[in-house]
Amino acid sequence: MSRLFRIRAAGIGAALILAVGGSLASADERQDVERGRELYREKCAMCHAAGGMGTGLLSRRYPKGQELLENRTDLDPAFIATAVRGGIGNMPRIARGEVSDAELALISKYLTRRERN
Amino acid sequence: MALVPPPGLTVAAFERALRAFASVVGDEWVFATDEDRATYSDHFAIDEEAHRPGAAVAPITVEEIQAIVRLANEHKVPLWPISRGKNFGYGGAAPRLRGSVVLDLSRMKKIEVDVENGTALVEPGVGFYDLYDYIQRNKIPLWLSVPGNSWGSVCGNALDRGVGYTTYGDHTSKICGLEVVLPDGDLVRTGMGAMSNAPTWQLYRYGYGPAWDQMFVQSNFGIVTKLGLWMMREPETMVGIDMEFDKPDDLEWIVDTVAPLRREGILQQSPSIGSWLRGAAVLTTRAEWYDKPGALPDSVIDAIRRKFNMGWWSLSMRFYGPEEITEATAKVVRRAFNGRPVLSIKDSKWKQGDPPELSAWAGVPITFPLQNANWHGGRGGHIGFSPVLPANGRLALEQFHRTYARYKEFGMDYHGSFAMGERHITNVNQVLFNKDDPEMMARVDRFFRTLVEDAKKYGYGEYRTHLDYMDLVAWTYDFNDRALLRLNEKVKNALDPNGILAPGKSGIWPARYAEHRDVGGKA
Ligand SMILES: Cc1cc2nc3c(=O)[nH]c(=O)nc-3n(C[C@H](O)[C@H](O)[C@H](O)COP(=O)(O)OP(=O)(O)OC[C@H]3O[C@@H](n4cnc5c(N)ncnc54)[C@H](O)[C@@H]3O)c2cc1C
Repeated sequence: MSRLFRIRAAGIGAALILAVGGSLASADERQDVERGRELYREKCAMCHAAGGMGTGLLSRRYPKGQELLENRTDLDPAFIATAVRGGIGNMPRIARGEVSDAELALISKYLTRRERN
Repeated sequence: MALVPPPGLTVAAFERALRAFASVVGDEWVFATDEDRATYSDHFAIDEEAHRPGAAVAPITVEEIQAIVRLANEHKVPLWPISRGKNFGYGGAAPRLRGSVVLDLSRMKKIEVDVENGTALVEPGVGFYDLYDYIQRNKIPLWLSVPGNSWGSVCGNALDRGVGYTTYGDHTSKICGLEVVLPDGDLVRTGMGAMSNAPTWQLYRYGYGPAWDQMFVQSNFGIVTKLGLWMMREPETMVGIDMEFDKPDDLEWIVDTVAPLRREGILQQSPSIGSWLRGAAVLTTRAEWYDKPGALPDSVIDAIRRKFNMGWWSLSMRFYGPEEITEATAKVVRRAFNGRPVLSIKDSKWKQGDPPELSAWAGVPITFPLQNANWHGGRGGHIGFSPVLPANGRLALEQFHRTYARYKEFGMDYHGSFAMGERHITNVNQVLFNKDDPEMMARVDRFFRTLVEDAKKYGYGEYRTHLDYMDLVAWTYDFNDRALLRLNEKVKNALDPNGILAPGKSGIWPARYAEHRDVGGKA
């Protein structure tokens, strides 16, 4: 299954980045953001795409467009990690068995990416 | 959050066991920090501490599971298997027995689909979204049947007798063949899978001799590692009739109208008659309408209904197949409702080639119903009270009145539905609460126990329940000094002498942990 392979590859990539430090991270930035996007689609989109629970509830508190996390520019990695591991509002806590720390770091990179298209 | 090891184990012994598990799966797949214990707890639970796991371990192969099971026997560590652990309302990922190690199978995601025969063979971690994506990506003309919260797994849902909304909605009845790791680490395949090269594993359910599939459903007799499932071919058409009804007492004739259609197979999907709050709790919050405690007054209910144009009850029916059949079915169903005071009727029709209808009736995974936990604001949640009734209007109405009166007595907002089976009704009541309201939370347990007790008086038992009430509900199945529970526990002790597998699941306790049974003083 190619999708499963991609996730594993993403995990390994992130581990490498953590191991060798910042310079490789910046060289790989684009690729990480892309992997983060794929992971976001797989792990988060069921609730945070249009029509999902998270989007529905956030639309009660945010202006139109901002209920979709992918459109937000005010998210930072610490907040994302706290929300994911600690839960927030009606969002349950997400365990490491479902989203590993390495995967979470990539998802975070995607949600906090500077380049927007 | 103090580490609570499983009963009978010191912290040091427990840590030894975790190190042994890590030697099988690698350190990164053993989760034993406070944060890990919190993430595998039940965020809906009245008291999360009561079901706090000691740790979690996430194997990815059957061999790893077998090795963990053998180590669990050696170290006397109870395991609680989950597929994806999204059993919200019934306990989430959390174990019945505090300190158990959650066996998280969510990494196991292999999918095989036999397109021609319309079957799938899935590993436990395959979510409804995973299977849906797989089918879309490979352009397979099969439909899923999904639950209202589709975040979970195909396997875990079917193993807890979950339901969906197409004609394949009774998920456990669509299971065809399992692969199971037994509590001693042995590996068995049920049905035709017992023959090593059988091409019929997913085609014929029973095999030869006793058929065991249901033995592993809502039980703690094995860890399912593969589940065969029948899937529905994409129909030529899906025709729908949605109805709204004005009065609470309409329930009686609605049930009596639908029951024969369902019994005789004209309606092949299980339509569910839902109260107004089922829809409203997803669309709005209570605070927008009312700021006092206690059950909502009728005037407020009327205002909400007017705003969203909804009946006191609503009913959606769907017919699947060639147009000649679906149109004819719609005609017969409409005729059955002729002359009845239906508030409104809406027809719908989907045809092959149309864009997919994004609904559970079309087997498309959804999560928006989870919004209902926000009804009270705060950190919301709910538990489900789901007794099984005869498909009879008078009895359903009486049960509704009893339950509604209790909701009012305990100051809770009624959220009920009556899902029509072929000969029964599953009466799913969600008890919606606000975990940030301690006064309300203090009422919930007493309320739930009262509902169970009321139902028992009429011989109505739950089809599924939350961890907190597994013993209570098992206790209501009391024929001949609880002979069924005694049988289950005889089997349990024979298969699992160390009691390592999901002790307490469905009220079934191995001898080793029998003192943890808790029927709340109602024995
Ligand atoms: C708003 C809302 C709506 C819902 N609507 C529905 C609905 O329409 N229909 C419905 O059925 N449910 C519904 N649910 C309940 C629940 O969320 C789903 O049933 C969900 O699919 C269960 O989670 P899961 O699939 O991850 O199962 P899991 O949590 O993985 O499994 C459930 C239980 O089955 C056992 N189990 C799981 N895997 C294994 C295994 N491999 N071997 C042995 N035992 C195992 C365990 O005891 C486990 O606790 C709803 C919940 C909410 C909050």
